[in-house]
Amino acid sequence: MKSTVTLFAATLALTLSFGAAAQNKRDYHMDVYDAGCKTCHDQGMKRFPSDEACLQCHSMDEVAKQTERHGEVARQNPHDSMHYGKEAPCQECHGEHTAKKALCQECHNFDYPKFK
Amino acid sequence: MHNRRSFMKLGAGMAAGAMMPMVASAKCGDEPTQWDSEHEVIIIGSGFAGLAAAVEAMRKGAKDVVVFEKMGVYGGNSTLNAGQACFAGTELQKKLGIKDSAELMVKDQLKSGRGIASETLLRHSAELGPYIYQMTKDCGCVYRDHIITTGGTSATRSHQVVERSGSGFIRPMLDTARKMGVKTHIRHKFEHLIRDAKGRVIGIKVRKGYHFGHEDSGEVISVKANRGVIIATGGFGYNINFRMAQDPTLTSEVGCTNAKGATGDGLIEMLAAGATPVHLAHIQSGPWASPDEGGFGYGAGFSLYNFPHSIAIDRNTGQRFMNEIADRKTRADLELQRRDQDGNPNPALLIAPKHEAKKDPSMHNVLKYNVAWEFDSVEAIAKHFNVPLAPLKQQIADWNGFVENGEDTQFGKRMDAGRGIKLTAPFIVQRLWPKVHYCQGGIQINTKAEVLAAKTGKPIPGLYAAGEVTGGIHGVSRLGGCSTPECMAFGVTAARSIMEA
Ligand SMILES: Cc1cc2nc3c(=O)[nH]c(=O)nc-3n(C[C@H](O)[C@H](O)[C@H](O)COP(=O)(O)OP(=O)(O)OC[C@H]3O[C@@H](n4cnc5c(N)ncnc54)[C@H](O)[C@@H]3O)c2cc1C
Repeated sequence: MKSTVTLFAATLALTLSFGAAAQNKRDYHMDVYDAGCKTCHDQGMKRFPSDEACLQCHSMDEVAKQTERHGEVARQNPHDSMHYGKEAPCQECHGEHTAKKALCQECHNFDYPKFK
Repeated sequence: MHNRRSFMKLGAGMAAGAMMPMVASAKCGDEPTQWDSEHEVIIIGSGFAGLAAAVEAMRKGAKDVVVFEKMGVYGGNSTLNAGQACFAGTELQKKLGIKDSAELMVKDQLKSGRGIASETLLRHSAELGPYIYQMTKDCGCVYRDHIITTGGTSATRSHQVVERSGSGFIRPMLDTARKMGVKTHIRHKFEHLIRDAKGRVIGIKVRKGYHFGHEDSGEVISVKANRGVIIATGGFGYNINFRMAQDPTLTSEVGCTNAKGATGDGLIEMLAAGATPVHLAHIQSGPWASPDEGGFGYGAGFSLYNFPHSIAIDRNTGQRFMNEIADRKTRADLELQRRDQDGNPNPALLIAPKHEAKKDPSMHNVLKYNVAWEFDSVEAIAKHFNVPLAPLKQQIADWNGFVENGEDTQFGKRMDAGRGIKLTAPFIVQRLWPKVHYCQGGIQINTKAEVLAAKTGKPIPGLYAAGEVTGGIHGVSRLGGCSTPECMAFGVTAARSIMEA
């Protein structure tokens, strides 16, 4: 019994660390990884982080500025779009552990070259 | 940027909150022993119907209105919509010298409903048109000065917001509702109605913290509705099993213009509560859609503009296969039959003359985003798309003959629609593949937006519905621009009824 538990725990630890290794692709998030999973997983490890989690460090205004577009394509700014304004929560388009695409791209072939 | 310490603090606080014991919630249909929260009016869904209901409830003196939206973003199909709304008898129509009336609008819609539309519900909605038009303006929506002529209407009445998108309604209405005190929540998925022993709807179970596609995410809470519940959850275009049960031709091969959340949740739950289903099999596909982008995209606008003076070609034969301006259903069915030898989809080609196509801003967008391509010659089209050249050349020559003679002897297309425009090089070519667009069917309501029980034909107390989740209003085929005003009219009506009850 005990050995099963240990084995299970070991496998779990392995999975988690493998998982974490695969996830730690973003150098600019190293600080966050160092601070521990709960830094983002503010609602417990089995849940999605809250929509406020990313906003501890980022602000909508700041990212909207970073992806600003001008003229006829101004409203293609994913962080300040025609359809959703500045209200689309980060996790609609971004995933730290899953590949995602921008919500706008469900209907439009827009190019977001710096999308991560 | 916030500093690192602030995220650590928030992280710790949230974790503590999440550890609080969950309140026991009730089984489906039973009164819970404990409510997690309560509101005067609960509205489910944040599209036209839900937001119009929210604003109107506040206008009628409600103090505590909540809107629950299951997705991460507000507005459902409504914010993706083309921003067109048919109203009869507005100030703008008068200013432009357009004679119109609710009566005439109902007549047009009855015709397209092919005998099974609801005259009373259409009339109720059309008569509220000028109120809705003014209400949207009060919310800050801005209309273009130009009114559009849409198919099947005998007076020009499709008013369009300047954004040419339903977001031109949704964003200002959402702001207004919030300013009036309406509480709005994303990631709250309505799961069940809660009814008391007498069958009255007294609350809902809602999954808080829901992430679309992760059905177990979040937690289910019980929320009490002191006056009642308005279901405004939209259509079921994205629920492939459910739509195929109604119309087996609408397989996963057929795309969809809708928002991903259009899965019919509210409809299915009301059916479970004994509501009356109406016309569920009448599902409209858009024949103007492109398989080279998702949803409605830009292609729909391009083909809508160009269909009258362009031809649609089968790639196997190089020949036309339909009247390009027949009704939506006729064209969508024929487009779906375009197949390669193995039976796989082989989308038809819409061939448009650039000299005319360039007059609409849509051409710029389809070319820019790879939804259509320019070709200098018939040969280039044939080569690129592997179409037999000789029949294609013959077809284009024949077509130009029809333009000259004013008669389409092949498919009987109304040739005055093309205004004598010839199909000559250079060409713009877009592929066509229908997408599920709109559900005419849903649950039955009356002119008070009360949901009617199948067993008794009487209203289910405390339950109201509005928008695409309701059915039977438009019959076989809804006219373009006629959903927006109807969703809002019944949202307003539901709010009035709930505040008067
Ligand atoms: C691309 C496109 C273009 C269109 N253009 C036009 C046009 O120009 N003119 C016109 O008249 N009509 C048009 N239509 C049709 C019209 O826009 C829709 O019929 C209308 O928006 C439906 O409004 P609604 O409020 O009923 O539903 P929606 O706007 O779809 O809103 C329903 C909301 O409820 C949410 N929801 C669903 N289930 C749940 C649940 N369980 N819990 C909580 N929330 C839930 C959904 O996520 C959604 O946000 C168009 C439709 C599309 C898709």
